[in-house]
Amino acid sequence: MSSLKEKKIETALKTGLTRGDFLKTMGVGLAALGGACDWRWPHAKAVPEIDRPEGVTPGVARWQASTCGGCSASCGALVKIRDGRPIKMEGLKKHPLSQGGLCARGQATLLDLYDSGRLKDPLINGKKVSWADWDKTLSAKIKSLSGKAVRLVTQTLPNPSLNAAIAEFLNAHPSVKHIVYDPISSSSILDAHQKTHGKRVLPHYQFSKAKAIVGFDADFLGTWISPVEFASDWAKGRVPTSGSPKMSRHIHFEPRVSLTGSNADLRVPIKPSEEYSTVASVAIRLARILGTAVPHVGEVSTTASSESLDQAAQILAEHKKESLVVSGSSDLSVQILVNWMNSVLGNYGSTLDIQKPSLVRSGSETAMDEFVKEAVAGKIAGVIFIEANPVYDHPLGEKLAKALSKIDLTVSLANRLDETASHASFVAADSHPLESWGDAEPVPGVITIVQPAIRPLFNSRPAMETLLALAGKTQSAYDFVRGYWKSHVFPKQKSSHNFDHFWDESLESGVASYEAPSLPHSSFSSVALAGIKNSRSKAKEGEFEFVSYAPINLYDGHQAFNPWLEELPDPVTRVSWENYVQFSPTDAKRLGIIEGRMVRVTSGKQSFEIPAQIQLGMPEGVVAAALGYGRITADDIAANYPITKIKFFPIEIAKLHTANVYPFLNSSLVSIAAGEEIHPLAKIQSYDFQRDPYLQDKRHALREETLEEYAKNASGGGTSSGSNSGDGLWDKHEYPGHKWAMSVDLNRCSGCAACVIACQAENNIPTVGKSEVRKSRDMYWIRIDRYYSGSETNAPENPTVAFQPMTCQQCDNAPCETVCPVAATTHSSEGINMQTYNRCVGTRYCENNCPYKVRRFNWFDYDRDDAVQDLVLNPDVTVRQRGVMEKCNFCYQRIRDVEITSQIENRKIHDGEVQPACVQSCPTQALVFGDINDSNSQVASKAVSTRVYRALDDLGVKPSIYYQTKVRNVKS
Amino acid sequence: MTTATASSEILRPPLVEGGKTYGQITDDICAPMEKRPPLGWFVAFTVAGLALLWGVIMVTDLIWTGVGTWGLNKTVSWGFAITDFVFWVGIGHAGTLISAILLLFRQKWRTAINRSAEAMTIFAVMCAGLNPLLHMGRIWRGLYWLFPYYPNTMGPLFVNFRSPLLWDVFAVSTYLTISLLFWYMGLLPDLATAAAHAKGAIRRFIFRTLSLGWSGSARTWRNHEKASLLLAGLATPLVLSVHTVVSMDFACAIVPGWHSTIFPPFFVAGAIFSGFAMVLTLLTLSREFLGFKDYITLKHIDAMAKVTLLTSMIVSMAYLTETLIGWYSANTFERFYFINAATGPYRYCYWTQMLCNVVAPQFFWFKKFRRSPVVAFIISIFINIGMWLERFNIIVIGLHRDFLTSSWTMYHPTYVDWGLLIGLFGLFFTCFLLFSRSLPMIAMSEIKHVLSSEKHGEKQHA
Repeated sequence: MSSLKEKKIETALKTGLTRGDFLKTMGVGLAALGGACDWRWPHAKAVPEIDRPEGVTPGVARWQASTCGGCSASCGALVKIRDGRPIKMEGLKKHPLSQGGLCARGQATLLDLYDSGRLKDPLINGKKVSWADWDKTLSAKIKSLSGKAVRLVTQTLPNPSLNAAIAEFLNAHPSVKHIVYDPISSSSILDAHQKTHGKRVLPHYQFSKAKAIVGFDADFLGTWISPVEFASDWAKGRVPTSGSPKMSRHIHFEPRVSLTGSNADLRVPIKPSEEYSTVASVAIRLARILGTAVPHVGEVSTTASSESLDQAAQILAEHKKESLVVSGSSDLSVQILVNWMNSVLGNYGSTLDIQKPSLVRSGSETAMDEFVKEAVAGKIAGVIFIEANPVYDHPLGEKLAKALSKIDLTVSLANRLDETASHASFVAADSHPLESWGDAEPVPGVITIVQPAIRPLFNSRPAMETLLALAGKTQSAYDFVRGYWKSHVFPKQKSSHNFDHFWDESLESGVASYEAPSLPHSSFSSVALAGIKNSRSKAKEGEFEFVSYAPINLYDGHQAFNPWLEELPDPVTRVSWENYVQFSPTDAKRLGIIEGRMVRVTSGKQSFEIPAQIQLGMPEGVVAAALGYGRITADDIAANYPITKIKFFPIEIAKLHTANVYPFLNSSLVSIAAGEEIHPLAKIQSYDFQRDPYLQDKRHALREETLEEYAKNASGGGTSSGSNSGDGLWDKHEYPGHKWAMSVDLNRCSGCAACVIACQAENNIPTVGKSEVRKSRDMYWIRIDRYYSGSETNAPENPTVAFQPMTCQQCDNAPCETVCPVAATTHSSEGINMQTYNRCVGTRYCENNCPYKVRRFNWFDYDRDDAVQDLVLNPDVTVRQRGVMEKCNFCYQRIRDVEITSQIENRKIHDGEVQPACVQSCPTQALVFGDINDSNSQVASKAVSTRVYRALDDLGVKPSIYYQTKVRNVKS
Repeated sequence: MTTATASSEILRPPLVEGGKTYGQITDDICAPMEKRPPLGWFVAFTVAGLALLWGVIMVTDLIWTGVGTWGLNKTVSWGFAITDFVFWVGIGHAGTLISAILLLFRQKWRTAINRSAEAMTIFAVMCAGLNPLLHMGRIWRGLYWLFPYYPNTMGPLFVNFRSPLLWDVFAVSTYLTISLLFWYMGLLPDLATAAAHAKGAIRRFIFRTLSLGWSGSARTWRNHEKASLLLAGLATPLVLSVHTVVSMDFACAIVPGWHSTIFPPFFVAGAIFSGFAMVLTLLTLSREFLGFKDYITLKHIDAMAKVTLLTSMIVSMAYLTETLIGWYSANTFERFYFINAATGPYRYCYWTQMLCNVVAPQFFWFKKFRRSPVVAFIISIFINIGMWLERFNIIVIGLHRDFLTSSWTMYHPTYVDWGLLIGLFGLFFTCFLLFSRSLPMIAMSEIKHVLSSEKHGEKQHA
């Protein structure tokens, strides 16, 4: 049969095609053509796991308690793991310090994990080697240097196990000396306590107990020491109590406009050179009120009004043992005076704890300076940096870099080939905290677990294992941490008698507490007051006083390669992607500087050039610039040009004009030269005031009042909040089951932007790059509007600042819903304004018609080409195509998740069980979410509170977000 | 009849000058189709073609790369595309007004200009219709969802009948259909004439086919007249409805400066105003360059200038009313809109609009200017610019500073925005120039019809 067929074919070939064959061929051809046209998504096969790990279900998220590795504050973190990869960092409710919040930087550490620019292998002299070779070569090298000066340089490590590993290493190599420094240092506070209390400790500040707070340039809500804990504590006192309302009073003196200053009841701009005088003036007034001996402070002169100084002293004196004076100054004399004030107020033991002090800063500037000096002098034979990058983040970094090439042995344990590691001959690829075992103890007695959420993505190794290997005690980090807990933590705690049980419990909760021994009591020694003086000199003609600060987004700069943080705008200036020199409007006018003009800042031989920014509230004669920048150029970070790959014609890629300000960390006086070029800043908000420039009418999206006004008419910010604009044309929606709503307490909100990053991580929001931000095309679903008092044409020198989180208001009578021609945005029976991406054709009519301007349009297909970075995507949320509108939907996937769970468990949803990402992460619990149909829910009670109002309610759109009027504790 | 004709001869100048015979008329009007066009035509065609080409390139970039190539942002989501859309729809209106309403009112002077005005309508609506398509984020999805015959295969959701944008789809597509039918209906007798006049066989064949076998019999004429009248009746409400619906895109939104009940009449008046300006532009040019001075006479220009003046005053009145109501509303957002328009960052656009739409047409009070093609041309250009700016101002000034000050932005058009604008003009003029070479630009049959009464009178006198 088959041979017959063959024959037939042969004949066909010989004789040419028959008619039938021709038709067949044509048919096949057409089918193939049709098939080729029928384009489909690429296929991928899902293979079930043969040996499935217990408790892991594909597609179902696991949550794991851990500790945030973003900074030394070591807040508690909850890591969401989906199909083997961590996709979200959240705050850990049980953590006694951070209390459930997690800051923007902490949440963004997740993206650091998926940074394809990380070191992938250990290197010797730039060449890839195996870990075994690396260990062997380096151990031999270290041995050969025994007896010579070898230094181990780290930042403060509040990590007991890691410190134990360091101790092992130091034991094995006795000639090595450990040096601790902090790029964002609290050295002066530690040194001051050495002088005043005889102990080099950092107090554990307890803002929750403080009813009066006076701050001197300490940005404790933004970046200072442990901001999540502080913000959480601070917020507790900021809500006016019922009855005759009371709330804490907060006065802030500062040389720039910080987040904390912006949230203070009274913000007083002062020059850095006046800091000492201002503190001393308050101290003198305080002494007079309290009737104690006035400390000898020398001559003082400050531009801060005597009223503000009086007020500061007054509120402190009124709240003995319930007040707190804090200063972020690097001036020892200032810190000694602050200690004196806290001491005479009896705050030690109440709002400051130095018996169980904070362990998150122990660095010493003098020790580090000494080391750099020695290195430059060639006295150092070897140096090992562990997760430290002093070439970048130390003022003498440049000198150190030169010195490093002369040092015989240079080792860096780093997660990328950073400024320091690139000078090192031995580089160890360090694992990310989400890949490693470890622990942290920010305050004695509060110890938390760091546990891996994923196997190392690259051939990296935790620093702990590297150190142990070099100490000759090769051990896995897990065994070491567990061993340390068994021998050091377990014996001190009382909750459990069985170590395995204790260990499992600790792993589950992430936190363990034990009774830590208190340091002996010590009181203020007045001897310290002798010799305090103002050490900062005033600017001469043509000079400016200079302030450098850690910004909220990039902090010390170690996360500079993180696109989420690069794009996150500063809460006050609203600028993203770059650092800039901040000028007061008067100085800018005098120098003829406009925003975006390049400005050269010079001190001695050093200088840098970045754009200018004009900042209301900056004191005259002072300029400020943020640390943490200057690490990346436009090319280093793909997120800055997310759309170049699909261009037809060239699309603008904005260059980044940033500079490293660390060399100026200790410079107090600089000279300024305005350049010619103008590079406009990428500002997310381009108009700063609630009042319009022509009519000066205030638009009541954000309502605020004083405590007195609030006490008089406890009815929300003046006008009534009831919707009075009729019922509209359409039938009302009915909400038979749940009706989701949110309350935003403007008194609690500090504007820290944790919610912004939480939303970005949860909802796969792309970063768009500087040029797109400049075109006002940021993609944030939630943003924090910042308003100054006054208006563009009538701007006060020192405005009050107010923050307002703004996201989709989920209007019951939504203007966006009626105008969409394809019904892509519709109303759910639970009160949520849904966006159906599949249907959206991108007419953008809804965006026009949204009075809150919270809808975001995908102007391009934003870059998703970095396969490593794409691992961060949340599979529960669609990645939107270009041409599609998107917006907040109260994290609908999270609502559904809880709904499904409650249905499986056959129960009602508990109040507070559903938490959108923004609500979860909020360190101050300013956001409350729940079912307003449930009259017992928290949000239902907030919706009828005495401070409630709804933004732009008179438009008749009936929003589902209930704002709580901002109340300031000032005299009206 | 005789006395009526005689008196009309006394009172009114003839509609066609130069004492043409029927044959001459056919020769004259067919001339641009048959002769080699003048150099001016080639120059104009090259310019228009290049503009179109540039537009095509820019639109390719737009579709390939994304709507982000435009200067829009999170606050100003509509810009040039919607401005162009409203502008071109508006232009279309004059054609329909001239051909339908003036037909119903038996305005004989319209005969010389109705053909090109109708052509203008069709090209303008084509240009207009492109804009809402191109401005969509996902044009490939847009057609799919917007035409409601399809969605039920894709799920239970239908289109949103509450959305003014959907009404636009219906309004504009209806308008295009009726205009096209009406235009083609009017062309039929002329196509037959052109076929008869044509020299080459191919040309004759094409025109013969296009004329759908026009026989010129009394029955054909009667049917034709009846159909024309019916279509005119259908088209007349469209003059009002299309721009009313377009205005609802704005009036139904809550954006300050948009949310206003005056918009439907205001937009219709504006549409006729801008349409007549465009007709003036086109006719002053074509009478000059295509040798139609005897057909498009100064009387025509005069009449159109009068309509322009009238509509200008309606529009000016609307500006005033709108501003007054803005103040009277005591609504801070409304008040701010007008102050921001007049003194804000886009104030130059606003005052240019006022200069062009309110001040410039005032010259038409004087007969001297009404009868000067040069002045009419210049003023028409002013009005074209002014009416484009009016739409731009409504859209952009309304959006860029709306309710929340934190979201205020500026809209700066990019080269792709400009590319679209230029490309649309290119498309329009390319079509119009091709039309002037390929189809009878003046309705021969109707001209002859108008002439016949005049000739008839002459004969009787003789």
